[in-house]
Amino acid sequence: MKDYQLGEFEEIVLLTVAILHGDAYGVNVKKEIQRRLGRQVSVGALQSALRRMEEKSYLASEFGEATAVRGGKRKKYFAVTDLGKKALAYTKETRNQLWDAIPEVVFKFRWA
Amino acid sequence: MSTDVHPPKLANTLLASFCHPHYLEDIQGDLEEEYYERVRDTKGKWNKLWYFYQVFKLIRPKLIKRNKVKNLIYSSMLKNYLKIGFRNLWKYKSGTLINVLGLSTGLAAFILIALFIKDELSYDIHHKDADNIYRLTIKNFNTDGDLSRQWAFASAGHATRLKDDYAEITHATRFYPWAFPDLTVAGKKFPSEQVVFADEDVFDIFTFPFLIGDPQTAFSDIQSLVLTESSAIKLFGNDWRGKDIIGEPVKLERSGQQATFTVTGVMENMPEQQHFHFEYLAPINFIEKLFGESSMSNVTGNYNWLTYLKLKDGTAPETIESKRDEFFDKYVGQFSNGLDAKAFYDFELQPLLSIHLNSSLEGEIENNGSIQQILIFGTIGVLLLLVACINYMNLATSHFSRRMKEVGVRKVMGAQKSSLINQFLTEAFLVNLMAVPMAIVLGVLALPYLNEFMDKQLSLNLIANVDLLLGLVLLIILVAVISGSYPSLFLSKINLIQALKGESAINSSKWNFRNVLVTFQYVVTIGLIFTLLVIESQLSFIQNSDPGYRKDQIIHLSLSRNINNLDVFKREMLNHPNISNGTYASRIPTGRLADSMGAGFFKNDSVVGLDFRLPFILVDEDFLKTFEINLLAGENFKASMDMGGDSVGYYLINNAAAKALGYNDPSEVVGKKLSYGQYNDQSLRAGRILGVTQDFHFESLHNEIKPMVMLKGSWNMNRLCMQVKPEDLASTIDHIESTWTKFDPERSANYRFLDEIFSEQYQAEQRLSTMITAFTIIAILIGCLGLIGMVGFIIDTKLKEIGIRKVLGASITNIASGIGKKFLLLIGIAFIIAVPTAYYLISGWLDDFVYRTSIALWIILAPAVAVLMITAISVGYQTLKASLVNPVECLKDE
Repeated sequence: MKDYQLGEFEEIVLLTVAILHGDAYGVNVKKEIQRRLGRQVSVGALQSALRRMEEKSYLASEFGEATAVRGGKRKKYFAVTDLGKKALAYTKETRNQLWDAIPEVVFKFRWA
Repeated sequence: MSTDVHPPKLANTLLASFCHPHYLEDIQGDLEEEYYERVRDTKGKWNKLWYFYQVFKLIRPKLIKRNKVKNLIYSSMLKNYLKIGFRNLWKYKSGTLINVLGLSTGLAAFILIALFIKDELSYDIHHKDADNIYRLTIKNFNTDGDLSRQWAFASAGHATRLKDDYAEITHATRFYPWAFPDLTVAGKKFPSEQVVFADEDVFDIFTFPFLIGDPQTAFSDIQSLVLTESSAIKLFGNDWRGKDIIGEPVKLERSGQQATFTVTGVMENMPEQQHFHFEYLAPINFIEKLFGESSMSNVTGNYNWLTYLKLKDGTAPETIESKRDEFFDKYVGQFSNGLDAKAFYDFELQPLLSIHLNSSLEGEIENNGSIQQILIFGTIGVLLLLVACINYMNLATSHFSRRMKEVGVRKVMGAQKSSLINQFLTEAFLVNLMAVPMAIVLGVLALPYLNEFMDKQLSLNLIANVDLLLGLVLLIILVAVISGSYPSLFLSKINLIQALKGESAINSSKWNFRNVLVTFQYVVTIGLIFTLLVIESQLSFIQNSDPGYRKDQIIHLSLSRNINNLDVFKREMLNHPNISNGTYASRIPTGRLADSMGAGFFKNDSVVGLDFRLPFILVDEDFLKTFEINLLAGENFKASMDMGGDSVGYYLINNAAAKALGYNDPSEVVGKKLSYGQYNDQSLRAGRILGVTQDFHFESLHNEIKPMVMLKGSWNMNRLCMQVKPEDLASTIDHIESTWTKFDPERSANYRFLDEIFSEQYQAEQRLSTMITAFTIIAILIGCLGLIGMVGFIIDTKLKEIGIRKVLGASITNIASGIGKKFLLLIGIAFIIAVPTAYYLISGWLDDFVYRTSIALWIILAPAVAVLMITAISVGYQTLKASLVNPVECLKDE
């Protein structure tokens, strides 16, 4: 099986882009992560994650319309590619496998 | 808030400089979108900082331009550059030390100057509507239509009338410091506090943040009092916040009259960077009631009302100024002598932001800064920094050329030009990084002196001052690039074969650029020394020129209003063996001739109005004796003369006045009739000119000696000047203080020596001189360090030549002069450039003085001689050392 490596943060970003379907550009993604996970994200971290995944072809991007709020700069919209979907699915799959492999006793022990 | 709306340009430039061009647009767009959102929601000043922070956090390998990444990271040469850099710096310890010392001194001077300038430029900008606030200044014209005075103050009636008549003026306020009343709070008395009365609009015009209370309602009662934090502490103690002082009564008392005011608010202390500072504000309506309508409607004369106007956004001040004729026609019309008032008065709106640096009108409320000083300091700061950079360039090229072989080998091994440049730039950065902490330490050490000296409260707190920190980072980069560029470019261009051969390339004509750099250093040094000498000689000219009156061993005492029986007071004061001759006066020499009234002179039988300004002072019969001013003709006042009781005027004039009246021989004007005073004012009257005094510098040497008249006064005599003997000053002062206490137990005697007041007239010049001395020393120090380093290098490369010359019979002087000759030429060129340039710059400063020194030949030559000597000393020692070496030592190896 091909290795779809996704870091924890990358996974969150990728998922968020998927959630925002069609409306995923920098500020929105950042806000969505902050809203859903209550986690502070710096522009630097987010942007480099986006570009990295674009390079790996998990994400595709295109420029949108220019708006006045942004001093006339265009937004760049991101969308998850097929490869990205596969990577997400693969990650979820491996997680599930791992979860399933945990013997029952471990949790019991914790709650005891 | 208008300045806060856009994201900082600097941050965007920074972003564009490193960010990958493909990503720039949308990343910047994202940032700006978020930024605007934050501005909308928070309005805090931290947003800009936040923006910078975000930009800094974008410096990540993924987002950086590809070529930069390739050069710095992927080729992983940076580590190598650093390693080699450190090794080299360590290997040439003395050179590194000289470099670091030179750079850090230059940097420290630059940082301090920048701090000072930044502070000076930040006056009054904290007021929200600063751009729309203007001060109303009044111009007076004489009968010839020439401007005679321009006042920082207006009359009582200007503010309200202008505001009522012109809709463009949205707010207007006056400040009137009334009479320094005594304040009483809970039985405790605070004598003579400066309570300033202002219009209600004051809080709409200026931004005075309230700690407690509400600016909208602060003046709703006419007996309200607004304090500042420091005056609240003064009146109510350090724990005033716990006391709920709103509504507390404060009794104002003056000359028997009293009124109880209520505290309605406490403002933040007025910031240092404001052109006025008040501790107590009270509603002006109170004064209006006291003074009555007639004196409040005055629009001519009585310039005691500091007046500020706020205009509608976007109104040009000229729109108001153009209404002046209309204004004076409406409110004054014609004088009783048939002349139009508008010919004599005019007003001008002075932008609030230009007051601190550009205004020096009659009666400025506080000492203002000067734009000229900013320009001089700014120029010097930049020059010093450049000199320090040049020093580095010179030393670095010298040292690097010892590394020719290294460069050669690197090139043979395939090093590209860019990597060589990077190597040397890295080293420049390392030296800079070492110099900066030292510069900051030097700056911190020097700052208290600067503060004390310039009367400032500057601080070098990098954590609290983000601008400063950012500026410093940029400065390091700039200095490193400037100072590292030439050496690295030069070395990377070296021909491979030459480099491997070693020293042969060094003495070729390619080193010309370095001569230019050294010459520049000489130009700066010579220019500074020249400037310093000119300023010093003007100052000594002032100190040594005879002001025409006695200024030494005179004690000046400001009287308080509790001292009423002047005759007895003076008699008791003079009742001490060391005190002789005392005089009362309304103003004393070293002051300003600000009071003047109209006058008529009786020529033959007809009265002619004077066509020049004739200011007056009030003195008594001992004035001339105390100040040792000679009478050229006529006689002095007699004690019995009383202008109040005798209904006659008694006048002395100075020689300049006699000449202005058309009498070249002073004795001819004695006995002529003069009528002095406003025509409708009964208190002054016609009288005779009793005598003519020699001319003396009543005002400072900045001004011409003007005509003036001395009246035998009996009112407004609020100063007493006494001659004292130098011996046993302690007992003299004891006597003055104990006598004072007998007459006024409430206040302490406020005495000063006249020579001190005299020197204060030239305080700005004294400061300039001291600052330039410090800068000159720094420039010379840096220059010397550079010279020592460079000569050492030249000698190193010429050791063999020296050896051969000695073998062939050259004497030590021959050899030394061979090396020194070049410097002589450079100094010569520098001299030709520096002196005319500096002369051009300093003559503007000298023009401020009507009485000034001439620039003597020695002042022109001395800087060159000084530089020659400095060079001779720093060159001489090393040359001597080199030429004393046994030729065998340097010739044996090959």
